[in-house]
Amino acid sequence: MRKSGRGSLIGEYPAFDDIYCGLRALRRMPKAVIGETEKAVELARRFNREVVRPRALELDLRKQKDPDYLPWDLVREANRWGFYTMFIPRIFGGKGVNFPALSCVLEELASGCTGIANLVGVHYLGVATLCASWNIRLMNRVMRDTVAGYRSGEPCLISLAVTEPDAGTDVEEVELVRKARVSCHARRVKGGYVVNGRKIFISNGHLSTWHMLIAYEDLKRPQSTTVMLAVRNGTPGFSFGRQEHKMGQKACPASELIFEDCFVPDENVCVSAEQSAGLLGGAVEDAIMQVIDYVVSGSRAGVGAFGTGVARGAFEEALHYAASTEVEGKPLINHEWAQCLLAEMYKNVAVSRLTYMETNYANSLYGMFKVLNYRPVFYLFKYLPRPVIDRVIRPLLDLDAVTRLFRKIYFDWQPPPFTRRTSGWASLSKFAATDAGVRNCQLALELMGRAGLRHDGGVEKHLRDSKLLQIYEGTNQLNRLNLFKCLIAPSVPGAVVFDE
Amino acid sequence: MSEGVASLGADAELSMLREMAASFAAGELLRGREEADRFPFSPLPLATLEKAHGLGLFSLTLPEELGGGGRGTEALALLLEAIAEIDASLGGVIFVNALAQEICLRSGAREALKGLVEAESAAQALIAFPAWDDPRFTAPTVCAVERDGGWSLEGKAEYVALSGLARRALIPAVTSKGGISFYLVGLRGEGVAVSDPVVSLGLRACPCHDLQLSGAEAAPVGEEARGKEAYEEAYIRMLPAAAALSAGILRGSLREALDYVRQRRQGGRLIADWSEVRMILAGMAAADQEAEMLVRGACRAVEEGGPGWRLAVRAASLRAMDLACEATTDGIQLLGGNGYMVEYHQEKRFRDSRQVQALMGTQDMKRQEYARLLLAEESPEWGRDVC
Ligand SMILES: Cc1cc2nc3c(=O)[nH]c(=O)nc-3n(C[C@H](O)[C@H](O)[C@H](O)COP(=O)(O)OP(=O)(O)OC[C@H]3O[C@@H](n4cnc5c(N)ncnc54)[C@H](O)[C@@H]3O)c2cc1C
Repeated sequence: MRKSGRGSLIGEYPAFDDIYCGLRALRRMPKAVIGETEKAVELARRFNREVVRPRALELDLRKQKDPDYLPWDLVREANRWGFYTMFIPRIFGGKGVNFPALSCVLEELASGCTGIANLVGVHYLGVATLCASWNIRLMNRVMRDTVAGYRSGEPCLISLAVTEPDAGTDVEEVELVRKARVSCHARRVKGGYVVNGRKIFISNGHLSTWHMLIAYEDLKRPQSTTVMLAVRNGTPGFSFGRQEHKMGQKACPASELIFEDCFVPDENVCVSAEQSAGLLGGAVEDAIMQVIDYVVSGSRAGVGAFGTGVARGAFEEALHYAASTEVEGKPLINHEWAQCLLAEMYKNVAVSRLTYMETNYANSLYGMFKVLNYRPVFYLFKYLPRPVIDRVIRPLLDLDAVTRLFRKIYFDWQPPPFTRRTSGWASLSKFAATDAGVRNCQLALELMGRAGLRHDGGVEKHLRDSKLLQIYEGTNQLNRLNLFKCLIAPSVPGAVVFDE
Repeated sequence: MSEGVASLGADAELSMLREMAASFAAGELLRGREEADRFPFSPLPLATLEKAHGLGLFSLTLPEELGGGGRGTEALALLLEAIAEIDASLGGVIFVNALAQEICLRSGAREALKGLVEAESAAQALIAFPAWDDPRFTAPTVCAVERDGGWSLEGKAEYVALSGLARRALIPAVTSKGGISFYLVGLRGEGVAVSDPVVSLGLRACPCHDLQLSGAEAAPVGEEARGKEAYEEAYIRMLPAAAALSAGILRGSLREALDYVRQRRQGGRLIADWSEVRMILAGMAAADQEAEMLVRGACRAVEEGGPGWRLAVRAASLRAMDLACEATTDGIQLLGGNGYMVEYHQEKRFRDSRQVQALMGTQDMKRQEYARLLLAEESPEWGRDVC
């Protein structure tokens, strides 16, 4: 085995820094993160009690009856509670709660309803994608739109549109996109791009105002001509297609987005192929993979949190059932086998939670959150008075130099082992926690029988919801391969992925 | 794909039955299964039920002297497997009805089953039953009271399958003697309130309703307080049939997945050419063969008896049900996002497999009961709680 990273024994495989991310991160973590996280979790629990749990089953049924229904009332409610601006940094007008706390909020919400949790979580998938371009001017404009939506009561969500009818797994990985049959074309024209193509399965599509769109300048060379564009509703040539009829997570629509000669002006280009070529010393494909890695390192921790949440939802239903049911003249909860089963389910939740926490420690130390979670920056942004932000910081955000600085930090000064660490852990969390989510739902059903099969019992919905988690944000197979690529292959000379 | 090694010994009559079932499923169920699965938000496929009744699918195991097919567990299993491969819901209807008939037969209440074959409609032929409960372990919530030489039922019977369709239901109840007794109750009579359909995970066109019984007139089935014994006899004969539903669902999922991986391309090649996809496929295909062999073995154990046959039936059936749950999860996975969508039918199989796994009681209680019987083989005192 090859040494990974440092020269001493501590750098030998498995490298200390690869396996104890939390240990190093804790030392640098601003103390206020704990209080912020506690408050965020409390709010999510209140939202669960007052909004999610009372409405989840009803909404699921409503959607079964009318598959085209859109849950605007719930989105407005989540907006009113501040969930769409909670994790937007204060310099962009948001509440600036630390990003890792998002995962904890998502776990809470998913324990009530994964579909509703997705209504919140997917918005931050859009935010994370926008941020991964480090186009600070555009980040400021789009996120301030969301903040304005919070103030006006008209939600302004952001979606991410990558998947195409013929390219799903392929667009999650540069090595695969090279051979992919992509069809969303972005033609360079004066002052912007003209886009033609179709995106499918886009979560929150119909409910979002902004869409982070991935397209390709040259469909034959997508790996080096990827562009990321921000498309706002109402742009001529952009329209919504059908909503998918899914097994679960019905609260959250999966939409088709259609682009027909849709002109996207330069000011809405997050990152062009030309700009990618200027990063990482011209290694375009590496730069594109880095963007993907930034996005998925954050978003897969979120999906890990969904998995943890749904595992917990199933556990809580099973616990309630065991405590209130008699079997053979004795409370089920006092049968030893049931106690072991419940302990197993509890373990599945706890271990899953540890995986997304560890991923977020990695992200805070080595990834997307590293600047914001750097103690001086954290406290500066937390306590800087709003008028100062508006008068002093805001004008700076429009300067090209600021975008250049951030791109320098996040691309040129980002050592590859850092990215591998965050991306590898994110994949680990994604497949470990989502497999545990499906498993716990199955265990709950096997315990509860017909009580679990009934819609009004709640568990069958958890099971339907959970299965999607093994598919989106890269199937669990792709995530296993990404873990191998990031955390195992570097130590084995000659090991390569997607080349069998 | 091979038809399965375990089927090689099936006799010609059984093969014909399987072919008939498969062509009925392809002709009658294939087109409408998506719509039927939307029940209660779409109508039930009543015309299909009538055709099934006309073909004698609701009386296959009924003794010949009652006009039925007089066939055993193996024939029923073949029928259910072939149907479930296309749409397990009708299989659920056939299963629930056959289970109710079997309990009546094992209770010695043949009278109750007269005239079913000649019944004018499926509704008249079918018997509703709470098929997801095992009354031996979950105490019935209905009491039977003797009044003026007759019986009446009081209480709530939950999740009674087919009670929105059938005219009669077979209900387990307790009497002052204790134990369990079975009663047939008219579902349109006084003192019976049928709830709206319960929305369920799977087998949606085999609907369940809750019943509120308030002094409903009922006819006893078999001897008072001897229901446990009758149920055990019916249960052990019907377990392979439930497992056959699982095996059919599993095979449907495998076929769909095989078709898909041979067409879908990712990474510049058919996904069937990625070795990880092949690993998953191999697991599914092995599960398919295993399930089929288990079902055949369980059927043979029922029909031939011999030492330990009840244990063998339980072990084989439980395992086949588990296999279907695992394999249908992979069946979705191999189709990626499309697998999660209604149009591809894999999600229905995923749901149906769980619905079937819970037939006749929770899977965990089935496992507990199995262990107890296993121990009782060696020393009878372990088995005292099991009839
Ligand atoms: C409800 C829903 C919501 C979604 N939301 C979004 C969204 O908001 N935005 C967005 O852009 N996308 C979204 N997606 C798309 C999602 O990310 C893709 O479905 C996923 O990446 C899988 O792609 P696919 O469906 O094309 O499956 P495919 O890529 O066709 O995969 C089919 C099977 O082949 C396997 N496979 C494919 N390639 C390989 C390989 N190289 N090695 C081994 N196995 C392989 C897969 O693991 C899978 O088992 C969503 C999907 C769904 C279902």
